[in-house]
Parts: sequence; C-alpha cells; structure tokens
Amino acid sequence: MSVLSDQGPSQPVSILLVEDDAPTLWRLQDALAKAGFHVTPAATLTEARASLAQAGPKVLLTDLQLPDGHGNELIRETRQRYPDTEIMVISILGDEESVISAITVGATGYLLKDAFPTDIAATVRELVAGHSPISASIARFIVRRTQSTAEPPPGPPLNTAKLTPREIDILWGIAKGFSYAEIAGHLGLSRQTVPGHIKNIYRKLEVHTRGEAVFEALQQGLIRL
Amino acid sequence: MTDAAPTTVSSGRRRWPKRATLLVQYLLLQPLIIILCLVVLRIPPPEPPSRYLVTDFSLRENGAEQPVTLPHFTASRHAMSDPPLYSGRFTWPGGEPQGAWSVLLPRFTNGVEVTVNGVVILDSRRNPAANRPDRNTPEIAVIPASLLREGPNDLAIRLFVWGPIKGFLDRLYVGPDAMLRSSYDTRTLLFVTLPVVFSAWQAILAVILGIMWAMRRHEPAYGVLAAAMAIGVGQAFLQTPLEDSPFSRLNAILISAAPLESAFVLTFALLFFGWKWPRYGWLIFAPGVVVAAAGLVGDATLSREAFLFVGAPTVGLYVIALALVVGHSVWRRQDAVSFMLGCALTIVLTCWALDLLSVLQLVPNRRILLARLSYSAMLVAIGAGLTWRFARALNQVDGFAASMVILVREAEDKLKASFAREEERARAAALARERTRLMRDLHDGLGGQLVSIVALSERGNAGAGIGDAARAALKDLRLVIDSMDDIGGDLMLALGSWRERATAQLRPHDIALVWRAVSPQGLPVHPELRPWHVIQIVRLLDEAVTNAVKHAEARRITVSIETSIDAEADSQDLALGRITIEDDGKGFELAPDGEAAAAGQHAARGLRNMRSRAARCGAELELSSDAGGTRVRLTLPHRFPDSDAAAG
Repeated sequence: MSVLSDQGPSQPVSILLVEDDAPTLWRLQDALAKAGFHVTPAATLTEARASLAQAGPKVLLTDLQLPDGHGNELIRETRQRYPDTEIMVISILGDEESVISAITVGATGYLLKDAFPTDIAATVRELVAGHSPISASIARFIVRRTQSTAEPPPGPPLNTAKLTPREIDILWGIAKGFSYAEIAGHLGLSRQTVPGHIKNIYRKLEVHTRGEAVFEALQQGLIRL
Repeated sequence: MTDAAPTTVSSGRRRWPKRATLLVQYLLLQPLIIILCLVVLRIPPPEPPSRYLVTDFSLRENGAEQPVTLPHFTASRHAMSDPPLYSGRFTWPGGEPQGAWSVLLPRFTNGVEVTVNGVVILDSRRNPAANRPDRNTPEIAVIPASLLREGPNDLAIRLFVWGPIKGFLDRLYVGPDAMLRSSYDTRTLLFVTLPVVFSAWQAILAVILGIMWAMRRHEPAYGVLAAAMAIGVGQAFLQTPLEDSPFSRLNAILISAAPLESAFVLTFALLFFGWKWPRYGWLIFAPGVVVAAAGLVGDATLSREAFLFVGAPTVGLYVIALALVVGHSVWRRQDAVSFMLGCALTIVLTCWALDLLSVLQLVPNRRILLARLSYSAMLVAIGAGLTWRFARALNQVDGFAASMVILVREAEDKLKASFAREEERARAAALARERTRLMRDLHDGLGGQLVSIVALSERGNAGAGIGDAARAALKDLRLVIDSMDDIGGDLMLALGSWRERATAQLRPHDIALVWRAVSPQGLPVHPELRPWHVIQIVRLLDEAVTNAVKHAEARRITVSIETSIDAEADSQDLALGRITIEDDGKGFELAPDGEAAAAGQHAARGLRNMRSRAARCGAELELSSDAGGTRVRLTLPHRFPDSDAAAG
C-alpha cells in the first residue's frame, strides 16, 4: 500500500484502461504511460470488448458508469476469459456502493480518479506485483457486514460467510488504519503473509456461480428480467 | 434435587441437619403429648361429697341374687327383658332445710331405670344422648318429696344393657339436689355440651370444605375431607334407634360410620400430602362398608357387633396410618399444617388406646370414653391448618401482586429500551439510505465534474490552484460520505480512512505520516458517537495536518493514538481517548491566551477553528509550539454531547 516497488517492469505491462470521461482518460493514460506501462485506452464497453477479443491484458482498469453499459459486465467477462488479469475499478469517491459490487464480480480494489500520477503508477505496480490493495473504508464495510444484524444492512449485498476469523481480524486492522506490519505484529503473523490473506479475502467475496451472479445483478438493479 | 447441579446438592446437604432437627423435635414432642394426655386424664371428673355415696347394692340377675359394690360391670346381653336389678337403700334425714333430694348417676351403660320406694323417677332411655355408650352422659333425677320417707328409703336401678359391650354402673349419689347438681352440670358440660359444640364446628368445617371443593374441583382432597366431616356430623346428631322405624336402619348405618369417616380422613391425608394413590387404595373403605352393610342387612345386635369388632379396630388402625402419613409429611414438607395435625393425631391415638383398654377392662377404670371427644383436637387442627393455608395463600397473592408490579415495571423498561433501540436502528437505516442516495447523486454529478476539473487543470499547466481546490473538494466529499457511515461508535474506523486520505495528501509534499497506536485497542468505543462528531474531529485533524504542511514546513508528522485511564477514577469505563499530532516544523508563537499571534492570519483562523470544533464535541484541545515543532493534543470526552450546543 505505502511501500512502493522502485524497479520498473522489465517488459511493458499491458493495461486496458476503460474510462468515458475524456480528460480523466487522458490524465490516467499519461500517468501510466509515463511510468512505463503499455496502455490501451477505451471509452466504451464495445471498444473494451473489441480490445479484449484480441488479447488479454495484464491489468484491466475500468470505470463503472459507461455510456453503453456497466463496468461490472466487463469485469465479469474478463474474469472468466482471463483469470490471470488483475482488475481494478476506477472510482470517483472510492465508495463501497460501486467498489463492493465490483469486488463481488472479480475486481481487487479501486483507483481514485483524482489520485496523483505517482500514486496511480505505484498502485498499479503493486497490483502487478501480486499485492491486492484494500482501503480502510472498504475493509470497514466488509467487517461491518460480518457482524450479525437483525435486518439486512443497507448497501450492496455481500456474502462474508466464507471469511475466516483471522481474515476478519486483518480486515479490522486495516479498517482501523493499521499498517500491514502492525497488523502482522498484533496477530503474530509474518508481514509477508498479509497480502496473501488479502488476496484470499477478495477471492472469497467473489460470486462464482452464474446463478449467484444473476441474483447479485438483479439485486443491484444492473439487469432487469 | 438432582446431582447435575452441584449448588443444589450442597444446599440440600446443608438442609439435612435442619430437617433432621425438626423431625427429632417432632418425635420428642409426641411422647410429651402422650404423657400430658395421661396426666390430664388422671384428673377425676367432678364428684359430689362422698357422704352421699351409695355403693352397696344387691344385684338380682338371671334369677340369682348377690351383694355387689359399685362400680360394677355386668355381662353383656342382647335383650331388653329382665335386666339386672340393683337394689339398695339410702337414708333421708327428713325436714325442710334439706331441700329437694336427687339421685345422681355419673356414668352407666347403656340405660337405667331408677325406682325410689317403688316409684319410677327416671328412665334414661328417653334421653337419646344417654343411650350412646361413647358419650359419658350423666343422669340426675329429683326425688319427689312425697315419695321420701324419713329414715331408710328403697332405691332400685334396672340396668339395660345392649351388647356387645358389658353393662356398667358407676357409683351413684343420693343427696340434696343442691349438693349434686353442680357436679352433674360440670359433667354435662364436659361430656354432652362440648361434643355438641364440636359437632357444630365439624358441621361448619363440612360446609367450608364443601365450598372449597366446589370452587376448586382440581383439589379433591377438600371434597373428601368435607365428606368425612359430614359423616361425622350425621353420626353425632342422629339418635340410637331403640325400636325398628323406617329410618332406623339408615340411622344405624350413620351411627356406625366412624370407620367410614376415618377412611375418608385417611384418603384426605394421602391426597393432601401428595401421596401416590395406592393401587388397592379403595380397600380402605371396605371395613366401613362392611359395618354399614351389617347395619343395613342385620339387626341391631349384628350392627353393634360389627361396629365393635370391625369398626373400632379399623378406626384405630387408620389413626395409626394417619399418624405415619402425617409424620412423613412433617419430615418432607416441614410445614405447620402437618405439624399440628400430627400432634392432634397423637392425642386421638392416646385416647383411643385408653378407651380400648378401658372397654376390654385391661386397666381399672370408670368407663369414661374419650376417643370421640379427643377427635375434636383433630377438628381444631384441621380448622387451624385451613386458616393457616388460607392466610399463607393470601400472603402469596400479595407477594405475587407485588412481584407482578415489579415484573410489569421491568417489562415496561425493557419495552422502552427496545423501542429506543428500534428507533435507533430505524434512524441508522434511514441515515444509511440517505447516505447511499447522496453518494449516488454526488458520484453521478459533482464528483465526476470535480474529477474532470482536476484532469483539465493538470493538462493545461495553468490552473494548478484550480486543481488543488477541486482535489480538496473531492477530499471533503469523501469525508462527508465517509463520516455518515455507521461505524458503531468506533472512532478508529473513521481514523483509518482519514489516515489513507492524509497519507495521499502528504505524499506530494514529501512529508511522512507516522502512525503510532500507543494502546493496542486504539480509542475507547463511544456508542453515542454521531456523524457530526466524526466530521468535527476529522476536520480538526485535517486542520492540524494542513497547518503543518502550509505554515510549519514540517518533514514528518506523527499521529499518536492512545487510551489513557483517568487518574481520578481508575475504572475502565472512564478511559479517555487521546489523539496527538506532532510535527517537526518550525513552530509558531502562541499568545498568552493560547491563540496564535505571529503566525499570520490564516494560521490564526485555523487554530480558532480547531478550538471551536473541539469545544463542540466536548473534547479538550491542547496546543504547544516551539522551535522544535508543534504539538496538538486532542483529549476526547467521556461522553460525546447529544446536541451541538456550541454550534450557535
């Protein structure tokens, strides 16, 4: 999260960048290209699908509100076709409303649209290095969901039943602003194992079956029957 | 008492000595009662002066004549004809001052006919009470003055005996009525009036118990006892039939109903003290039924024999059984009712045993039968027990009412709390929905536009200030949305997001943010924490960081979070949260009143804002600054204020 890896990629990492707002697209593309990434821009779902049809990128960065559809559709398709592709959502507010729904279809974390160029590059570099970033507010949302409540809590649906107590402890630590090292210290873990736990958390929150996916989509109002 | 609960077992063990003590007390009390009974019964019934005694008689029985001295027992017989005749004499001194003379017969069984100078002056068979051998009815008869002769007078007594018990004639007195009457009255009071009083009491008990049973059908014990009482009453007031009449056989049944009555009382005791009804339990009514059948089918003789040989032992046996049942109940229930009943039963049992010895002539006696009279002790015990139970039930009702009031109050409180919780939940849900709506609106509108401004300003290279402003606006948007989230009173959850935002803000300025959680749990949880508290605190922290960035030229900012226990109260509940922000910048001068003086208008306004935010949350703000850096220490309150009192 805060520790940057300084060595650049030996081979250009391919990124599919999907964003409909032109100034934002340019800005993100600039930041990533300057950091040495190979960026393929796309402004619509159709363009993104056309690009995906040719080759699977190493990283998919996508906005959610697209002129011809929802970014979650793209995430789900990419996840199915290219399981090795790292996916991140580009979000304006980093709010759980958009990010959690993307996580349930396969995204790992989000990128703020107004992040500084160096932060953007650093985040993607960590993602490629296998570190799935998770923000305090998203961790907070997830752990609040693990607490049993009488009525279904507001916000997007999320199934936290598969999370282990240790993973929930890690999420609590992140939600309270502790660094990986501090969390590892509290829980008696090695610092290096924390990112692996976080990756597992993302995988466990993903909705796997088609039926589940349709249900989730219905819940979110993404599709109508 | 089960072995599963150790506390129950131990308490049970502790109660054992108490129980045993009670039982020992009970068992020691019974011999005492028996001794007391024997002592009381040894007191002779009142008798007139012995100079009026007439004891020497000549008895003519079955054609044979012999001299006898009273008291005298004769053989039992079954016919009224040719009864034993006692002939004797007494001397009347004559003269008016003597007043009227009487003959007093303190005790006889079963009937007497008294003749003075050949004239019959008394036939006890006309007196129904006197015909009952179980009553010790005395008789007195005034001798008409015209019959008396100065000097010796003839006195003849015919003793009517109807078996199976032997006839008995106690010493009799002839003397001035004034001398004999008081003794007679006392005996009548003891042996005639008192049984009637107790029988009336028994009748009342029968009515009370009957009503009780009618109102509480699920307690048949009361019905059974009411039946016993009713039988007892009938038995006491009905007369012994001397001749055959339409009701004589019914009378015979009722009078011989004592075994039936005792069977009912035994049944009551079994039911009342919670015994399992024995399989052949109804057999305890068999002797009573046999006696009744004898009265119904056979003649008077058979009826009497059945009563004496079946009925009386049955009564004794049942009284013994009753004593055992009640004794067991004393051990098990340790209540006043069983204790009283047990003592009363001992009295009855003692008197019954004495009567038996007396009837069988195993001890010298004057044939005073007391079993029936002693039964009144049991009636008193039953009445007292009923009243005791009634009073206790009333107390329980009172206690129940009081505890109901408490329960209702508790339930009310719970309901109120639950309403409050429900309200709180509804409020939180409404807030969450509102937040979601706001988030979507901001996301779709303002947020996107601000992002575009940031992108455009960077592209043009001209509007760096505009970009910063737009970025600050976005940051604030995120803060507002973030603080509206339900964090369950854990301020650490808000600080976690704040740390991320502050880190991102400081990175371009090359300022390191060091995060130190001094206490492992961070800050205490405040259930009363509201979103507006969170916004105030986070904005205050933002202000501190911004000051460090803009005015202090700091290279490193350290945020320390700790929970300090209040020195005055060492309770964990009064733990105070403390957030300290320190920078290594150049610092600024503070005016004596704590306000920033020289650091410029902007910083001064920032410090004022921080103070007002802290005040609105009830938090305490400490500022210190010197050449080595600035320290802002925010001490959170024990309890966050409900309303924004300092807002105006």
